[in-house]
Amino acid sequence: MSWVTEARRRWAGKRVRRLEDPGMLTGATRYVTDVQLPRMLELAFARSHHPHARITGIDLAPARAVPGVHAVLGPSDMVQVHPTVDILELEGTLKTPRATLPGDRVRYVGEPVAAVIAEDRYAAEDGADVVLVALEPLDPAEPLHEQVPNGRYYQQTVARGDVDAAFAVAEHVVRRRLAVQRVVTSAIETCGVVADYDAASGELTMFMSTQMPHLSRAAIAHALDLPISRIRVVCPAMGGAFGGKEVVLPEYLCAAVAAMRLRRPVRWVEDRSEALTAGAHGKEAEAELEAAFTRDGRLLAMRSRFLSDTGAYSSGIGAYVEFMVAANTVPGLYRLPAYAYDTSGELTNKAPLSPFRGVGMTTSQTAREVLLDDAARALGIDRMELRRRNLVDDGPWRTVLGEDYEPGSWRSAFERALELIDYEGFLPRQAAARDRGQLLGLGISPFVEAAALGSAGGAGGIPGSSHDNATLSIDLSGAITVALPTFSHGQGHHTTAAQLVADMFAVDPDQIRVLDGDTARTPFGMGTFGSRSGVYMAGTVERAGRLVRDKLLQVAELLLEAAPEDLEFVDGAIGVRGVPDRRIPLVALAGAAHFAPQVRAHLGDPTLTASAFFDPPRPTHSNGAIAATVEVDAGTGGVSIERIVVVEDCGTMVNPMIVDGQIRGGVAQGIGLALLERYVYDDAGQPQTTTLAEYLIPRATDLPPIEIEHIETPSRNGPGGIKGMAEGPASATPAAVICAVFDAIAPHASGVEELPLRPETIARALGG
Amino acid sequence: MRTIRVTVNGTVHELAVPPRMLLADLLREGLGLTGTKIGCAMGACGACTVLLDGEPVRSCLLFAVQASGRSVRTVEDLAPEGELHPLARALQEHHGLQCGYCTPGMLMALVPLVESGGPLDPEAAREAIAGNLCRCTGYEGIVEAVVEASRR
Repeated sequence: MSWVTEARRRWAGKRVRRLEDPGMLTGATRYVTDVQLPRMLELAFARSHHPHARITGIDLAPARAVPGVHAVLGPSDMVQVHPTVDILELEGTLKTPRATLPGDRVRYVGEPVAAVIAEDRYAAEDGADVVLVALEPLDPAEPLHEQVPNGRYYQQTVARGDVDAAFAVAEHVVRRRLAVQRVVTSAIETCGVVADYDAASGELTMFMSTQMPHLSRAAIAHALDLPISRIRVVCPAMGGAFGGKEVVLPEYLCAAVAAMRLRRPVRWVEDRSEALTAGAHGKEAEAELEAAFTRDGRLLAMRSRFLSDTGAYSSGIGAYVEFMVAANTVPGLYRLPAYAYDTSGELTNKAPLSPFRGVGMTTSQTAREVLLDDAARALGIDRMELRRRNLVDDGPWRTVLGEDYEPGSWRSAFERALELIDYEGFLPRQAAARDRGQLLGLGISPFVEAAALGSAGGAGGIPGSSHDNATLSIDLSGAITVALPTFSHGQGHHTTAAQLVADMFAVDPDQIRVLDGDTARTPFGMGTFGSRSGVYMAGTVERAGRLVRDKLLQVAELLLEAAPEDLEFVDGAIGVRGVPDRRIPLVALAGAAHFAPQVRAHLGDPTLTASAFFDPPRPTHSNGAIAATVEVDAGTGGVSIERIVVVEDCGTMVNPMIVDGQIRGGVAQGIGLALLERYVYDDAGQPQTTTLAEYLIPRATDLPPIEIEHIETPSRNGPGGIKGMAEGPASATPAAVICAVFDAIAPHASGVEELPLRPETIARALGG
Repeated sequence: MRTIRVTVNGTVHELAVPPRMLLADLLREGLGLTGTKIGCAMGACGACTVLLDGEPVRSCLLFAVQASGRSVRTVEDLAPEGELHPLARALQEHHGLQCGYCTPGMLMALVPLVESGGPLDPEAAREAIAGNLCRCTGYEGIVEAVVEASRR
């Protein structure tokens, strides 16, 4: 029996209020920065002020003399720590191992060079200020890493179908270049760690921000040459991540070494200027797309070239996810008979690139949709009609790259978004506005999002196994606890997992305890990223729950002397169907399993705990379409968004309120990318946007209301019909907004190739 | 060190603090009131907002000594009996929080407005929260919650 069959009865599918909220609303929820341990010291870093220089000397003595400073660690204290290397294996990659504190040279502004441990953060920063580092600037042309002489550490070219022949016969060829800017993930909680070493047990506990507790645990063990069993990773709560908390930072390893050496807990909390200067940057990529069309607007082939400037190292999860996913998601939902890409990453003197929500997909989606609009204008075909001629019906569909999409609502989501935004009514309104000198535009962005790739992979061009476990147990009080290796940091997993379990055992969600974010309390699994958690949670929880249910049913069978098919879970009990007075509550069943002689004689193992494994056979594919209308100020180039409409189909929804939350947040980030956010280095490699006064995150007044409608096409691949979502809307929103702006300023859009669309960019394009 | 006398959530504290200590750090590190969060330490994000004599202030932009002789209220005081504040309840109803990190600052910035002001329309609610950054929600649920709480 699947939870789905019962889910319809009570909790799954409902807008259940979140179990996480009361703690957060009263200040009780503890984040890493709130962890305070006895005798805890604080850590601050001395960082490079130069983008590329040889380190000719480091003098730590002045820092050691600062009152309150306990220790200062430099590169020579870190030599025994293994360098961190990207964990994804793509053949032909030139690896760039990263020393925890580099001894030879610095490669970007903000790279840590020394760690100062003091009584409090104030003293630690005093110390960091007087660490003396002698730097000899290096020629900017000199390679950052000797093993990567031209800076290009990975390149892949792929061709499927006869691309050249298609271009040779094409009646129209349209090209589009678009540079997606560098942005910063910018969770409101920065990164942080509290390292606590127990000398008696030899266990190192790392309270730290991470989306993947178990993988981080393994990475820390490897770096420090400790058995994994001696490392415990705990994430008490996390204030957002968006892909930016997947990497074990050098700062975390410094805190670990300091705690082990000083035998005192050591805390480091990234401050905002560190986060902006040297934290989790994302996205930066140049895209060039070329498409071959017939005269009537049918796509014959595409070529793409992506080049991503991924900063000084490809470390952690691997910066190539950005340009690999970009190249592999170009086909989207369109019939594309032939496609070739050339995608590569280069190393430069910038902070290392991290994954960021909608990794790669944002770039491909934006470039493709902008190109389709360009093509429609060039061919004299309505932009929506051009898409209709090329959109695939609702699936299933095998792309030119061999990726198998499960069915969705591709055309219907597209058409519904056009209805909701009133495309037909917009056209005369736009024309009338133009006559008054007012610039209105409309954009649309139909999207598909692969998630929960599983060990079979098959999406996005990224290798790597992906599977999870969950443990479900019932204690002697009859209470249910679920332990998950994923880690909720805003996504409300505690609530959705509780909804699923509540339906399996006929109890209320608030009676279920959900554990995550602690490697000592949860089974192994990959963590939370790539919109995977809902699918894995449902798969593992259902399997573990079924094992425990079966055992409870055995106990009930013995106590009620009823046939198994007559038993049902009802109101926190198991009862005989149709006989309300023959029920045994879970607490009595749990007790009986362990202690009742008539049960013990027959049951064998009484353990009401089960762990179960899930590895989805194929990815899920959610889809949708986003439409936006904007007004562009012809004088200033300022953009205001009139409306933004999202039609989303992520299959069966466990909690539509939480799904809506993911959509809204993603759309907000997408608008930020389209119009506001950009991380700027000057020509010398110096960061220019190091505070939130210069780096612009959308504020409430920057955003329109976000209108959402759902279609539910249950997944064939995801358990219970669930499809992973949460990145599709984020990655599709920029295209909708940008296409709308370009529509408003057409024919002046073709020269605009840089994002975000800042007022000055638009004004310049308009000839202002 | 300077000696200050400050009332925090109704309790009077006499404390010796370094002159450069931020009010946010006094609350969090000194008094263990970690509900107040620090997001940027330069007044741009609003996560550290507390009430000083009833007015919202950025506790990262004030030194602890500046709170001497005054009264500070933090998020911990909004629900002393565990009963959620009406605005907090509305935030839960409207999914106005996800990771929860900006939430205490949001609450403290908005509670005086919701408690003393008249009913707000969505535009006014948007204006009211424009000084507090949230990266998760797109603000929509927060706007709805403020509108609803202001009308209760």
